[in-house]
Amino acid sequence: MFRTRRVGLAAGVACLAMTVAACGGGGSTQAEAGSGKGTITVWAHDGQPGEDAAIKQAVQEFNDAHTGVTVSLTLIPEKTYSQTINSTPASKLPDVFEFDGPSLASDVFADKLSPLTDLVSPQTLANQSSSATAQNTYQYKQYGVSVIDSGLGMYGNKKMLDAAGVKYPTSWKDSWTADDFQAALVKLAAKAPGHKALDVQENTFPGEWASYGFLPIVNSTGHRVVANNSAQDLDNPTVIAALEKFASWRDYIDANTDAQAFPSGRVALSWVGHWMYPTYSKALGNDLVTLPLPSFGEAGAKTGMGSWAWGISTSSKNGKAAGKFLDYLTSDKIVSAYTTADGAPPATNSVLTTSPLYKDGGPLHLFAEALQTPCGASVPSTSCVAVPRPVTPAYPVISQQFQNVIEDALKGGNVPSLVHKAASAINLAYQQNNNYGQ
Amino acid sequence: MAALDAPPRPLVRGRGRGRGRGRGREARAAGLMTLPAIAGLALFVVTPFVLAIWLSMHYVNMQSILPPRWVGLQQYVMLFTNPAVRGQFYRALLNNAVFTVVVVPLQTGLALALAVALNQRIRGTAVLRTLFFMPVVFPMALVAVVWKLIYSPDQLGMLNSVLHLVSFGQIGPIDWLGNPHTALAAIIIMSIWQGAGLQMVILLAGLQEINPALYEAASIDGANRWQQFRNVTLPGLRNTLIFVSTVTVILAFQLFDQIYILTQGGPQDSTTTVMFQAVTSAFTDGNIGQGAAITVIFFIIVLAITLIQRRLLREEREVQ
Amino acid sequence: MTTTRTEIPISVARTAPGALPQSSARPRSRGSVGRIVGTTLLTCAALVFVSPIIYMILGSFKPSSHALDGLSAFAPTHLTLHNYSGMLGRFDSSSTGYFGQFYLTSLIVSLVVVGGGLVVNSMAGYALARLRWRGRQAVLLSVIVLIILPFQAIAVPLYYMLNDLRNTYMVQFLPFIANAMAIYLFYTFFMGLPKEMEEAASIDGAGPWRTFVTIIVPMAKPAYATVTILTFLTSWSSFLWPVMMVDQPSVRPLPLEISVFQGQPPYDWGQIFAFGVLMVAPVLLVFLVFQRWFVSGVAASAVKG
Repeated sequence: MFRTRRVGLAAGVACLAMTVAACGGGGSTQAEAGSGKGTITVWAHDGQPGEDAAIKQAVQEFNDAHTGVTVSLTLIPEKTYSQTINSTPASKLPDVFEFDGPSLASDVFADKLSPLTDLVSPQTLANQSSSATAQNTYQYKQYGVSVIDSGLGMYGNKKMLDAAGVKYPTSWKDSWTADDFQAALVKLAAKAPGHKALDVQENTFPGEWASYGFLPIVNSTGHRVVANNSAQDLDNPTVIAALEKFASWRDYIDANTDAQAFPSGRVALSWVGHWMYPTYSKALGNDLVTLPLPSFGEAGAKTGMGSWAWGISTSSKNGKAAGKFLDYLTSDKIVSAYTTADGAPPATNSVLTTSPLYKDGGPLHLFAEALQTPCGASVPSTSCVAVPRPVTPAYPVISQQFQNVIEDALKGGNVPSLVHKAASAINLAYQQNNNYGQ
Repeated sequence: MAALDAPPRPLVRGRGRGRGRGRGREARAAGLMTLPAIAGLALFVVTPFVLAIWLSMHYVNMQSILPPRWVGLQQYVMLFTNPAVRGQFYRALLNNAVFTVVVVPLQTGLALALAVALNQRIRGTAVLRTLFFMPVVFPMALVAVVWKLIYSPDQLGMLNSVLHLVSFGQIGPIDWLGNPHTALAAIIIMSIWQGAGLQMVILLAGLQEINPALYEAASIDGANRWQQFRNVTLPGLRNTLIFVSTVTVILAFQLFDQIYILTQGGPQDSTTTVMFQAVTSAFTDGNIGQGAAITVIFFIIVLAITLIQRRLLREEREVQ
Repeated sequence: MTTTRTEIPISVARTAPGALPQSSARPRSRGSVGRIVGTTLLTCAALVFVSPIIYMILGSFKPSSHALDGLSAFAPTHLTLHNYSGMLGRFDSSSTGYFGQFYLTSLIVSLVVVGGGLVVNSMAGYALARLRWRGRQAVLLSVIVLIILPFQAIAVPLYYMLNDLRNTYMVQFLPFIANAMAIYLFYTFFMGLPKEMEEAASIDGAGPWRTFVTIIVPMAKPAYATVTILTFLTSWSSFLWPVMMVDQPSVRPLPLEISVFQGQPPYDWGQIFAFGVLMVAPVLLVFLVFQRWFVSGVAASAVKG
């Protein structure tokens, strides 16, 4: 394509317009099945060390098993991963790539993900947990399989909580209200060595975390960040009040520059996902407890769900082989390895019921409890806890904008104007893209 | 870069030889010698520039199968009027302007002071000069990473602990990069640190162009050191100073690496820049048309600065 | 406009130790007290100036908890090499890339940009300065106009144009070989060369190519050095373009990799500094050895203006 553009600008642009139009047609191109043998390329996100080790190990073992398929793995940094997928033309994508749950709609819209039917085995699809299947289905077709789901809540340092005389909830049903939570922060900060009480992983800003981790604040007020192709619902006094409340805790929050705020005992609470479990349990042992997030409004405490999933690109010439690798990734062995490495909730039924971390009475059962009562795409209410991030091709923009709101609000920005600005930018994206054909 | 002097005449060569043949050979050779450069510039400089103008009049989303859509001047209008975009864009222009207005005099002044101080026959100046120049060989990406720790928000941060020490604990830890009032200043200081050495070297070279006789004459006239500086050094450095400051102005408008690594334009757009916004529009938001429109505006600004520089240099030539 | 001064525009070589402060070349030096005060002040300033570099080097030899620990980071205690082995150990497979690979990428890209650029741009500069051909004026003018068009102004459309080449070496060097500024620097240098030798060669029947290769190139070493240093420094620190065009570790250059590395958990600052030291050490070494060329090269580009 590069050479054709040498002809000149006009020709180049025309060619580009043609290639773009040529692969259009609704966005459900199916990958070629191929021989089911040979080398396939795989892209995965480079995130937590535990996950990295797990995927490297999985690939190694898969290659050693001589199934006729060889995997060549590339890890791409989590912070720019979605940008990478967005800016890579469909024709240059690897056979298999990982994607974050909410970007599925956007990748399907760009005709980058192939439907999985006939490529992965029916058993694999049937064994996916209901929340994973829901996340990976868009407009009635399944485009991805998940190895893990995600859990979000707070970790507590039992020793510090007890020392400050703070009583804490252990189930989503009796979570703190924002005011209770604030009272706890005050008590904890008074006792803490650096007078901080909370870690919100500020060292990983900016990034998807700021969006995933704090969207539950919005949902807890009974509002959604987008509905009906508009962010009108976000720009709402109740949501703004909740976000202002959250931002007002900035003085209790440790910047966590060295990533040691919670494990080294500088703060008693860490608002973060399942992935910190291995690090934290190693540092705190039996003093590690899990707490639900506080509730900010009438819909009650809410949390996040959904995680990275695996799909096959529309440009793959070896869909069968790619499917074999996905079957392998979602096998009990790998799912268990991931869960152990990362503390993640398994995304397959068979492991979910047996995992020592997540079964009843397990240390992370709180996360499983939330995932068992998902809210789906409907308006969040007290009858459910886990809310998926919005499934829309606009998600990259939504996430970017919401991250800015959270980050700037914590830095002392004016919340109403931040929210208003974000809502306008999201609305603009819908307008400019003709509502993404929805 | 005083480029537009009348181009000197080509060498008249080969008088004793067949003129026509020599010329043909020369022209052929010239064609071959310039071909790669012309092709490269045409393909990778001129074409993208024209493409920028074309793109800026379209809505193009990288993450979309829809073909580019003609929108006329809407991207420009939106940058200047749409409430969702305009705030950030104006802020970017303002930040670039502030950065320029602060960095150019400060950095040039510092570089000039260093250059004058080091332009003496004092033992060890060569070593000192090396030290001041050293940051220049550090890629900005690395500089930003190191300074990220210097600006670390808590007491662990280098700058905070220095301030804590010298103020006897009176100055508490400041979140340099996280506070909208200090973030741009922090970026500015770091940029001056990295850039001053380069300017210093250029100014040193300029200083050595000044005819020593002028100093002799001045001191015979009884001029003190300050008067010598005012009346000999500064006028002698005029061109170099104009060059150095224009280059810095243009560099200031290209501000990107530090922002990308340290602040991503935040907090609250307090460090966003024109280039950063162009890249995020095109890259993060997938809105290539808007990125291209920003780029075109950026070019117009750079062009204006360059023309002003040319004008200043020409005036000086007329004065002489 | 002559360029012979490129060789020693700065008196790095001339300030021989113990040289007397003579009045001729520079402003007269102060009395010895003033001089001592001045030197002391300057030395302090220089130390403050290099403190971030010292901070980085020391930090690279300390465990993370001591690397990021306020002023005590400057105390040479708790020294260890663990950061280096730990950092290199994190690049242990093709999926994350190897440290050597990042080096290789930076090196290949810079060498091609510098090497290719020297050939392409000096030829063009020569043809513009010394050969007669139709269109010369127009090309010269275009080159001068293009100097003011910074890369930033075309990065976005170039990204759109070359996106199919992303994640290659080629996309990283291709746009930077032909360089208007370099052509212009060569052009002004060649304009300043005496013509006698070329005329002699011409009488001997040498054509433009032979004249260029055998006469001009050997005389133009200072110009080549200047352009080499300038393009190398730019290319070696190149960041914006790799941010847009590269996401594969196998073709990631060093500046991009350090920005990625510092954002990857576990955030180990000792290791990040170790990365920084290894990244900059060779260039710093080359700089210290060839300092005179660096300094004069950079200065020459400006004084030319």
